[in-house]
Amino acid sequence: MSHALRMHDVRYRYPDAARPALDGVSLDVEQGELVLVLGESGSGKSTLLRAALGLVPSFHGGELAGRVVSEGLDTREHSPAQVARHVGLVFQDPESQLVMRRADHEVAFGLENLGCDPREILPRAEQALTAVAAGHLAERETGRLSGGEQQRVAIASVLAMGQSTLLLDEPTSQLDPIAAEELLALVTRINRDRGITVVLAEHRTSRIFAEADRVVVMEAGRIVFDGSPAEAAAHLAGSAPWLLPPVTQAFVAAHRPELPLTVRDARRLAAPASASRRELPAAATVVGLTSVTKRYGEIPALRGATTALRAGTVTALVGPNGAGKSTLARIATGLEPPDGGRVEGDGVRGYVSQNPAHHAVRERVDDEVAYALENLGVAAPERARRVAAELSRFGLEELASRHPRDLSSGERQRLAIASVTVMRPQLLVLDEPTRGMDGLRKLALAELVGRLAGDGCGVVVVTHDIDFAAEAAEAVTTMARGRVLADGCSVDLLAHGGFFACQVGLALGCATIAEAGALLRTETERAGV
Amino acid sequence: MSPLPVGLLCAALLAGSVALSNPFAIAACAAAAGALLWASPPPRAMYVWFAATSALLVFLVNPFVSVQGLTPIWSGPQIPLLDTEITQEELVFGIAAGLRLIGSAMAVAAFVRLADGDRVLAALARVAPRSAMIAALASRLLPTLEQDATGLAMASRSRAAQLHRRRPAAALAAPLVGLSLERSLMLAEAMEARGYGGAVRTRTPQPGLNAPERVLTAIGIVTCAVVATAIPLDHYRYYDLLGDPFTTVGLATAALVGLAGAAGAVAGRWARRPR
Repeated sequence: MSHALRMHDVRYRYPDAARPALDGVSLDVEQGELVLVLGESGSGKSTLLRAALGLVPSFHGGELAGRVVSEGLDTREHSPAQVARHVGLVFQDPESQLVMRRADHEVAFGLENLGCDPREILPRAEQALTAVAAGHLAERETGRLSGGEQQRVAIASVLAMGQSTLLLDEPTSQLDPIAAEELLALVTRINRDRGITVVLAEHRTSRIFAEADRVVVMEAGRIVFDGSPAEAAAHLAGSAPWLLPPVTQAFVAAHRPELPLTVRDARRLAAPASASRRELPAAATVVGLTSVTKRYGEIPALRGATTALRAGTVTALVGPNGAGKSTLARIATGLEPPDGGRVEGDGVRGYVSQNPAHHAVRERVDDEVAYALENLGVAAPERARRVAAELSRFGLEELASRHPRDLSSGERQRLAIASVTVMRPQLLVLDEPTRGMDGLRKLALAELVGRLAGDGCGVVVVTHDIDFAAEAAEAVTTMARGRVLADGCSVDLLAHGGFFACQVGLALGCATIAEAGALLRTETERAGV
Repeated sequence: MSPLPVGLLCAALLAGSVALSNPFAIAACAAAAGALLWASPPPRAMYVWFAATSALLVFLVNPFVSVQGLTPIWSGPQIPLLDTEITQEELVFGIAAGLRLIGSAMAVAAFVRLADGDRVLAALARVAPRSAMIAALASRLLPTLEQDATGLAMASRSRAAQLHRRRPAAALAAPLVGLSLERSLMLAEAMEARGYGGAVRTRTPQPGLNAPERVLTAIGIVTCAVVATAIPLDHYRYYDLLGDPFTTVGLATAALVGLAGAAGAVAGRWARRPR
């Protein structure tokens, strides 16, 4: 069988980087394979995909050693534009990769670049849009599409070019669970039905792990494992279980020898916990919202939302795109006024934006943390004391003199949170904090928000990531179409909650991996007895 | 919508706003451009706001910086560098200058909102491919820049920043530029990943003009002809004394341009109706 991609001893260093992004990577991908690339943030996944297209070093500069041959084209001898005739790359952020204003023109853009016969351009563009179930979007403005729709158009743009290899760099990181599942199903279908080679770097592995032909694990620019999904699960169980699907992690936590990769497999191996209603412990209300309404032009964002945000509790605010979660969060923190209804609560309220770069307005990390205190008029000695305490609390003291933009994504996230918690808010809202975050960082974030809640702060996490919500939150508020559907305990709503259920909830009726692990251990002990 | 018909009418209104001198004709150009903008898809308010505030500013400032006109209506105290004698001619000229600004700003805004940006860029690419791609980058970056500006402002307000004050607001400009540079690099990389800069490009065939576009083209041609004919014939004088605005050329031009604006707005709405 011929190879779609061959990499031999590839070493690459970005300009001015201290360490190589790729360090002796050798990888062969056969035609028609679906390869899943796993690894923590900064492990070299995105660079590997860019190297496959020749964007490193051609676009980014830096030094490349070794050999990369994509669809028979050596990237040292062929430009990315030439390689792009056979290999397509879909990036993480759909908003930043769309060039044209209309969806069909966007798909046509790549065909124009290929020098395609003008008479074929529009029919091929329409076929590609139809193939990804986006035919109805053809005449829509790309800037007005949802993240999921934009990502579909981006995939259609690549498919239309008739490339035989598709590289996807965390394509679901900005999508809600339903859109993410649809997209991964689409990728699988493209691979199975059309024989297109797919190399996919992804953190949300619950749906795609078992579907992959091979799993490649990267660490510090190196490939540390390359094998089948079952072999990868066995390997990762000992070294990096957070890269596995949540249901597999539960079996790892229970020290069970079987490692199911899907909900169905897990259900065959263990009976789910029975549903029992749990009550949340009593807690004071930090902010109460009653029948709150809000419109943006003609679009209603909130239609009478009522909820109470609790002190000392991590509350997850979940729901599909356009449910009104971010609007509710901004109104609760006083950043936006409601059109109608009542918002009750006083004290300092903080909001951490979904893009940590929005919290980087100063030249130094310590100045960034001091920014809010300066705005509040806190005296210099007190300010210095609180900044030092906050840097220490978030493990940022070593980075105090660095520029915020030079930090890694995890450090930027911690800095963004520290820059708000330094005000000692009674309510802290984190808007989509897990975008593009790997499993290990999510665990760290879950622990961090737990500590903040432990200090008495009411923490609200607005998220699409149901598995993270289940791990991090005690209380859950579900929303849809501008209304609050339910307030309750995360076990009730995410383990047995139907549409919003997390993976360990679907498989084992538990909200967290630890709970599921405990359930499985008990079951094993009983079986042993 | 195809850029040709919209471009013809907007160019005529822009030229009329700038080059005609009769105040009724200038007012008609402004009204026609306003009608065309009304027919275009939202957002429109920011264009109207920009045009109206700039026009008001010009109207208010003109009498104090101009030293012309022989019909004084008010004299103020002596202030260095300012002319505090306000004449009737200066006021009328200020109104006309404000209307010129409204007409030209709204004509450009109507073109931006009505014409299909991708088709404008495709047309530009025929004569200047590099400039067209820079324009494409800029047009895609604008919405993301707006989102980043909103995000930065929101994040700063959540940290107690008083953004209604000039200094804290201005301090956000540098991070915004940094973010926009990051975005432009990402977009440029995405373009290269899609084969841009490779072999000779082809172009998507453009569809022919539909019925409303053909009507709009006809209106645009007539308006161009009216404005081109009127410009050399329109000799209205503002200084030293105001001329008589009720001239045949001035009134006829105003009536025809006004009619063209109304018809253009109807055709613009018709073109936007889903088919």
